[in-house]
Order: sequence, then C-alpha cells, then structure tokens
Amino acid sequence: MTSLLPFHKEILEEIHDPSTSELLILARGLGLRRLLCTLMQIYESPQTLVLLVNASQEEESAIGEELGIMGCRKPGLRLVGYELGKKDRQELYKKGGLISVTSRILVVDMLQSDIPINLITGIIILHAERVTALSLEAFIVRLYREKNSAGFLKAFTDQPEHITSGMSPLKNIMKELQLRTVHIYPRFHETIKSTLESRKADVIELYQRLTEPMEDIHHAIVQCMTTTLSELKRSNTTLDLDDLNIESAYFRSFDMVVRRQLDPVWHKVGPKTKQLVSDLATLRQLLNYLLTYDSLSFHAYLEALVASNTINATGNARQHQSPWMLTDAANVIFQTAKRRCYTVTSAKRKSTAESSNADVLDDADAWDALYEAEGRQPPNAGNNQGKEARKAWLPDGIDPVLEELPKWDLLADILQEIEEEMIRQESLSTTVLGSNTVLIMASSTRSAALIREYLSSMDVSAPKGARGRKMMERKLKSHFWWKGRLATRKQDDGKGRPDISRNHSENRNKGNDSGSGSAEVSEALKRKDKARQDRSANRRRVRGGAPPAIAKHDSDFDTHYGLVPPQQTIIVRAYSDDVDDQVLWEVKPRFIVMFEPSLEFIRRIEVYKNSSPGLGVRVYFMIYQLSCEEHKYLAGLRREKESFERLIKERGSMLLPIFQTQTSGKGENTFIKTISSRFAGGRKELSTTPPQVIVDMREFRSTLPSLLHASSLLIIPATLTVGDYVLTPDICVERKSIPDLVSSFNSGRLYTQCELMSVHYKQPILLIEFEENKSFSLETVSELKSYAKPSSKYPSKKPAGPSDTDRAAPSVQSKLVLLTLHFPRVRIIWSSSPYATTDIFNDLKANNYEPDSARAVAIGAEDDPEAGAGVNAAAEELLRCLPGITAKNVKYVMSKVQSVRELCEMSNEQVQEILGVGPGKACWEFMHKGEKSRSAT
Amino acid sequence: PVVLPGTGNNIIINPNQRLNPVLECIRNVGKEFGDIVADFQVGRTTAVLYLSLKYHRLHPEYIHTRIERLGHAYNLRVLLIICDVSEHQEPIRELTKTCLINNITIMVAWSYDEAGLYLSTYKQFEYKPPDLIKERLDKDYNTILRTALTSINKVNKTDVETLRTSLGSFSDIATSSSDQLQNLPGFGQVKVRRIKDAFEKPFRNKA
Repeated sequence: MTSLLPFHKEILEEIHDPSTSELLILARGLGLRRLLCTLMQIYESPQTLVLLVNASQEEESAIGEELGIMGCRKPGLRLVGYELGKKDRQELYKKGGLISVTSRILVVDMLQSDIPINLITGIIILHAERVTALSLEAFIVRLYREKNSAGFLKAFTDQPEHITSGMSPLKNIMKELQLRTVHIYPRFHETIKSTLESRKADVIELYQRLTEPMEDIHHAIVQCMTTTLSELKRSNTTLDLDDLNIESAYFRSFDMVVRRQLDPVWHKVGPKTKQLVSDLATLRQLLNYLLTYDSLSFHAYLEALVASNTINATGNARQHQSPWMLTDAANVIFQTAKRRCYTVTSAKRKSTAESSNADVLDDADAWDALYEAEGRQPPNAGNNQGKEARKAWLPDGIDPVLEELPKWDLLADILQEIEEEMIRQESLSTTVLGSNTVLIMASSTRSAALIREYLSSMDVSAPKGARGRKMMERKLKSHFWWKGRLATRKQDDGKGRPDISRNHSENRNKGNDSGSGSAEVSEALKRKDKARQDRSANRRRVRGGAPPAIAKHDSDFDTHYGLVPPQQTIIVRAYSDDVDDQVLWEVKPRFIVMFEPSLEFIRRIEVYKNSSPGLGVRVYFMIYQLSCEEHKYLAGLRREKESFERLIKERGSMLLPIFQTQTSGKGENTFIKTISSRFAGGRKELSTTPPQVIVDMREFRSTLPSLLHASSLLIIPATLTVGDYVLTPDICVERKSIPDLVSSFNSGRLYTQCELMSVHYKQPILLIEFEENKSFSLETVSELKSYAKPSSKYPSKKPAGPSDTDRAAPSVQSKLVLLTLHFPRVRIIWSSSPYATTDIFNDLKANNYEPDSARAVAIGAEDDPEAGAGVNAAAEELLRCLPGITAKNVKYVMSKVQSVRELCEMSNEQVQEILGVGPGKACWEFMHKGEKSRSAT
Repeated sequence: PVVLPGTGNNIIINPNQRLNPVLECIRNVGKEFGDIVADFQVGRTTAVLYLSLKYHRLHPEYIHTRIERLGHAYNLRVLLIICDVSEHQEPIRELTKTCLINNITIMVAWSYDEAGLYLSTYKQFEYKPPDLIKERLDKDYNTILRTALTSINKVNKTDVETLRTSLGSFSDIATSSSDQLQNLPGFGQVKVRRIKDAFEKPFRNKA
C-alpha cells in the first residue's frame, strides 16, 4: 500500500484515540478511504467489536479488499446483509472484530438485543452528511448511547456541499450523532497545501471546441432551460425564486432547492409548475448526455423522450406536454441531433450507392492481391459481401452523417503523442519509475465503454472526424432496428420487422464477430501493414476490448494469447469513489488522460504523485471549451470552497449541545402510569412492562419507528403478515404515505389489507401519513403518478354518476369513500407528519394492554411456512405487479420461486402449475410478450 | 317544513346545517331537509357529522354533545372535518381518540368543495360494489409493464420505454446482464443495481 503523507499522519494522530468520538470532514479525493482503513487496522482485534455503518455495497467490498491488502485477513472485515440469518449474526457479533452492517439490520438487531450493545467497542459511520433527525443512523446512535457511553463513535464525510441547508447544518448533524468534536480538512488546509504543492504533476490542459451542431444544440438546450426557468418564476411570483439562476440549474442539487421552496405550497402550484420543475431536470440531463453520448445514442434518447412525452399510458395523445418541447429551440435540438446522425434526402441515390460499391470492390481486389503476396488464404471470403450487406440495411434516401465527438480525435492524437514520448524515453534508456500503461478516465462507465469501443475499432489512417466511422455505422444499424421497435408501439401488435430484429439480435448477442468480424479483419490487416513502415503503429491494444479477429492470422501463439506487455495497454475507467486511489497505485501509470474533468481525480493524482517520489506523471486534461462542462467544473470548485468556509465559520460560532441522559426521566414516567388508578377505577392489573409497539420489519425503511422510540416507546421488530404496527391487542395500524396510498388503491392491495385487518383485529386502522414540511392536503395527490389518470385538476373533475365513473378515473377521495363504505369498522388516522403520528400512537396506547408479539406474528401467517423470515421488498413489489399474481397467492409464489428472474425463465406449464391455468397463462404471456415476434421467425 | 327522512335518493340534511356553505358544493345528488340525529344522512345506514376546526376551537364541547346524541345509531358513522386552521395537529389528535372510542370514522377535507365532494360521493357510492378498489386483471400490456417496472425505485417512464424498445419482453429485461442495461441511454450504475436487485435477489433469506 502507499505510504501515508504527512497530512494523513496528522489527521490520524488526531482521531485514532478510541476513547474520543468525533466527526471528520475531509475534502474529496484526499484519501479518506485510506485513512479509514488505517484506522480500522488499528482497531482490529478479536477483543474488539467495531461496526461500520452506512457503507454502500461497493464501499463495503472495496474496504474489505483494501484491508485485506493491508494485512487484516484473519478475519478482516465481515459483511452483514439481509441474506445472513439471525443466528449467524448473533454468532458473528460474539466473535468480535470488524463488521460492516446495513443500518436497517443493525437497528433491528439492537432492538432485539441480538447484538450486545454494551460490548460494542465503537461505531464508524460513513456518509455523515446524510444523517438527519429522521434517519436510521440517528436512531442507531440513540440506541447505542443509551446502553453504552464508553464506546467511540467516529463519523466521516467527504461531501461538505451537502452540509449546507438549514440554519446550522453542522450542529444538527453533530447533535444527532451526539458528538462534540469536529475536524475539518479542506484542500486549502495548511498542512495539506504544503504537502501537496511540493511536487506537482505535469498537467496539460486541452480545451476542445464543440462542433458546430453540438454548439447549436448546447445553445438551444440552455435557451430552453432559461425559458423554463423564467416561466417557473413568472408562474410563482409569490415565491422568492430570485436566487435561482441558470448557473445553479446545472447542478443536481438545484432540484432539491426548488422543491424545498415549493413544498409547502406544492398543492397550490398546479400541474404546470410541476411539469416545469421536472423539465429542468430533464434538460440538465440532456446537456450532460450531449457531451458524453455519441450522436446516435443522443438522438435515440431524444426520440424516446418525445415518445414517452406525447403518449400517455393508455396510448392516447397526452394533453399536457412539456412546454419546452414546443419551443423553436427544442425544434433546433431535435433537428440538429438528427442531422448529426443522418440526413434524409427524398431523391434515390442509386448512382452514388453504386459508385461506393465499386470502391468497395476495388478495395477488396487490392486486399486479395495483398493476401496472395503474403501467401495466405484470404479470410473467410466474406469481405466484400459484408460490405455490401452493410449498405443493404441502410434505408433508401438516408445519408449517414455520423458525427463523432470531437474529443475522440483529440484522444487519438494524445495517444499518438504518448507513444512517441514513450519511445523517446526508451531510447534515452534511463530507468523510469512507473509503468507505461496509459490510464484514461471518463465520467461514467457508459462513456468509458464508448471510448473503449472507439479505440478498439479506430481507423488510424482515416481523416480527422471519421476515425470511428466503423463503430458509428454499427451503431447506426442497431439504431434503425431500435426505431422499428419504437414504432411498433403505435401499431401495438408486436409484428415489427422480424428480419431486421433477428439480424440485430445476432449482432448483439455475439458481440461483433459475425457481421463486423470481417470488417475487423481488414482493419487489422491494414494496421499490420502499417506496422511495417512505422513501428509505433501497432503498439497499443486496449485491454478488455481487444479486437478478436487479429489472432486469426498469426501462427505465433504467445504474441496473441500471452500477456500483453504493459507499455501496450490502455486502461479505460470511469471515475468512481476512493477505489480510484487503489487503481492509480496498482497500475502506476505515468500517463493519465482525463477525458472529462473531475475535481476529485486531480487531487487523487496529487496524492499519488506525492506518495511515490521520483515518479514523473503527465496528465492530459480534456475539457469542452465554453460548455456547461467547463462551467460545472469551475462552479464545483467554487462551491466546495465556499461550503468549507461556511463550515469553518459555523464551527467557530457553534454552541455545543449538551446531551442529557434519557434513562432517568423515562423510569419515572412509566411508574406514574402504572399506579394510576384514575382510569376504570384501577380495574386493570398493574403492568410493569414499559409501553411497547410491535413494528413490521419492512417499516424500518420509514422514519416512524425511530420517532416512536424517541418518544420512549419500546419497539419490538417482527415480520408481520397483517398490518404494520400493532399498538394494543386490539389495535392494528396499516401505515400509508401518500404515494403508497395511491399505488395501493390502484393495485387493489389496500382492499385486501383492510380485509385481513378486519378479520383479525377489533380495531383496524388506516394511517394516512403526510410528510413533514409538505402541505397537509390530499390535493397533492392529483399529480403523483399522474400518468395513471388524466391530469385535469380536482374541482372540474367530479366522479359523476355511476355510468361515468368508468370513463373518468376516480380520485383518491372517492376511493377512500368507497373503502369506508365497505369497511365501516376501519378507522382512519390523518396525520400531518410522523411527529404527529407519534403523539396519536401514544394517545391510543394510554391505559391499554400491551400487545403480544408472538401472537401478532402468528396472525394471518397460518399458510406461510416461512413467517418471520427476512424479505426482499423490492422484488416482492415487482412480483405483485405482474398479472395473475394477487395478494393471496403472492406468499405462495415466493415460497415456490427464488426470484423474479427464475419465474421469467420458467416454461408456460411450470408457471401454470404454480398459479393455476388461467392466471398462469396470463402471467406467462405477459412476461414473454414482445419477444414472440422474434422466436416465431 | 321538517319532513321525516324518506327512503329516496336524496341526501337528508339536518335543518341546523341550513346556512352551511358546504350545501352549495354538494352537486349531482338531490338534497332534502329532514329530522335526523346526524348532520347529513347519506345512506340508509350511513350518517355524517360535520365539524369545522375553526368552530371546534371556539366550542370544543359542541362535538361531544353531538356524538353523545348520535348514540349507537347507524352502521357507518363519519365525522367530516374541515381543516381550516393552520394549527391542526392538536385538535386532530384529540378528535382521533374520541372517534376511536365512539366508533366514528374521520374524513378530513381542506375546502368546502372537497367536503361537498365527499358527501355527494357517499350518496352516489351507497350501493356501489368495491370493484374499483379491488385487484383488477383487465389492464392492457403497456400499463402493467409500466406499473411493474416503475415500482422499482429510480425507474421512470422514459426508462420503461427504453427498456421495452431495446430489450423486448419482460423476461428479456429480467435476464439481461448489467452491462447490457448499463449501455442503455439514461441508465447509471445505481439504477442498474436497483433493477438487478429487484429481479435477481431472492425473495426470502434462508433463516
């Protein structure tokens, strides 16, 4: 592993003490992962129990791996996921060591005392910026501190931008984590600055201009954003939206800012404003895609966007289109995007086609001659056929333009330059540190894959702007196939175009060996030819995406199946989190190309460069001039700096919260309640058990359990079949947030749930919970999932007489009415926020018997052999939506089938066996509709 | 002229509601005044008490006397609350408890229009079967596909369109690889992982 830099050591010295608890805020890219791992290495021992909380799956495995490299192998970091059974978890906790746990599981384990809380040595919390009063992490800390005041709690974050909302964001986080110390290390911290600026990397900044069509589109999108934004401002004059400007709209956090402003009045703003807000997000995405997607994918995305916007769910034309789509600028976007791919001419272009064919034939002859000269068989003789076929799929009257991204050319030039540089250094024959592997970094895995594809099929001899022609043509072909599928939607019967589709699926499945393989051969040959004259031309292979056809010609096994020497490899990767540090360190590249700008990665290079003295690193930094990319990069820098400054200021003036121990107050409370004989003349027996609520496991996704616990109720987690919360032996509550309410009315699930509750409990209750800080009104409902129904606003829409209700989709209100009519015993709790719910629950529980968890679990679970097991909620939700699956048989299906995928792979008969003939057939047909056309041909 | 409650298709209104602005908002059903214990009788066995929170704040004892007088009459008893104050949390909490004890269902409306809608819907739906809120099977393919796929967090309708057009059937989507998904426009790592989780992770763990 890399050596730690001076500032790393300084930070570690500050925070390593296991008797203190603190929050560390570090600038991104400065090696938080490494600090974390070193810290965990210090704590690792079988005598300790250290929990890692709030790490994503990728982070968990990456940290585990890095710890392994550092020597923590026995047993290293162990992961706890929902797949691990309860018994195994208990065992694991007892053994001690480093354990990473999902927050939801940890909360449940803490509540069920599966984990010895008083024996926990310490908890490490990642992503501290996400902690709020309502989050599970705050709940964990509360449970932890109740029984364990000696253990440490270290929280980490590298996202200072997130800690900015509200009056005193830093204080709130520290209050929830019950911390009193915070360390802030921005990039401009003295130690970090002096460390990193002693040795600088050799950075070459390349400003690439956009092509003219791209510039036009870019300009048009920005124009659309401006109009949308000003429209938004105009339609909400009462709101203080002045600080919203087009620059801030480039960032994702903009959506949150707007929503926060609009939330209290969200029910009043009308569907138009809502549309505008979501349009801004779409447009921002478009800007991003313009710069990273190839012209065909961009065009395809636009078309999908238009298709999903003009047609609603039932296939009719939609009434409320996004306003920006009707502007001139949008027309520019659509037209230019199309023109970047191909132009449509009405005249038949027979003659040109012929001439190009002739060209191809000529070419082919030349190749044949070449083969003869080399005394070898021409490869599979399909060369010219392949080329003709490629022309054949092109519809009449379409001229491919296939504009390429300008950065691709730049990249090709850079690689050329790097090669020359390598040769120069080789000739100097001084020993240089680091490998010759070239590292290319892109913003997403998608654009990385695109670069890889481009490089592997690049035609070096072609003129600028046409080097990736081959790849683009391949893409164009699949694009036409895709367009065919998009069009079938309108015809609705999935006839499609079987010949094209089959063609395509082959192409897709086998990658590029059948159709384009022959093309590849000629390309490889060309390259080989060139290599003779110019020894540098064949130097590079792309790892992963190596063209398969090259191997065919050569007899020498080793050169093609052996390891590729490092100086010939190019690695293309997407920016990710701290894993990049490890990549840099493992690959040890001297040449790094940053295809898109990234603030963090520059810092990573700085750290990398500084922790490996003597290494000469050259960085090529590509950026589109005068584009949102450039702007975003600069604004990102500024934002980070500002948020750090704000945090430092807040730390200076912060009033530190005092944490009182809660236990004393609570005991008193229950005592008074137990001896009170005011109610029913003391008829009840004295109960010494504290008030408790049984909560369904799935409910731990919501914030309510945490708040219930905060109001000194005892939470008992259980897997319930009926209801979400059981308050007393008679009262059972089904909680629905507003989106839930709408969707479970639509799916009919609520009806079944109410049915079940009514059967098993005396007091079934439906809790309708609104969100804190959002409007407390049902009218918000009209826009949620609005595609499900026509989006006319409420007053004009009346569920008219029974004959009309089939036509106009009924509102939530009328469905609620119907529900109460059919379940007169179901009560409804209207709660404006989870806080209000807590009060109501406490009210309802007063002077009632406590519920019995064993009984609650058993209710309604008679037919379910696996009652009480953990559940994958997302999969269950998806399964419920399939036709033929009802609330009654879903449990049975889940016990028969492992996953949705398994269900999909079953034959018609197997599905019918599980679901019964009718529903099984419906289900199977649903799952396989659309591919019928392909299998039939 | 006070008449006895009839059996017809009209909402029967207690005369003490005569000046209530809600009456204007009850549309599409007939109205008549009659001598009843509740404020509105919207069905043979359904009665509604009406309460504005503003009024409740001034006369907190009023609703209790009304509930008392209601006794055990009617099968479905509804308390229709007009939420016209900003400090609604406390009164709603208190009323929730009262109603639970007295077997009354609370409905909350935020405007007279909405309250009127509730009242007229109660009457219109008096004999309506619950098919509207039961599970239905007669939906067309595209709607089901959309509902199913959008039930996965982060997947929106544009994504559904992309999935359908580029991968094909539902089972094709289920069996496609992460790389394949990642290559679709608009699909990032998080979205792909969510989709994979929903399709491929087992429903239950083995414990």
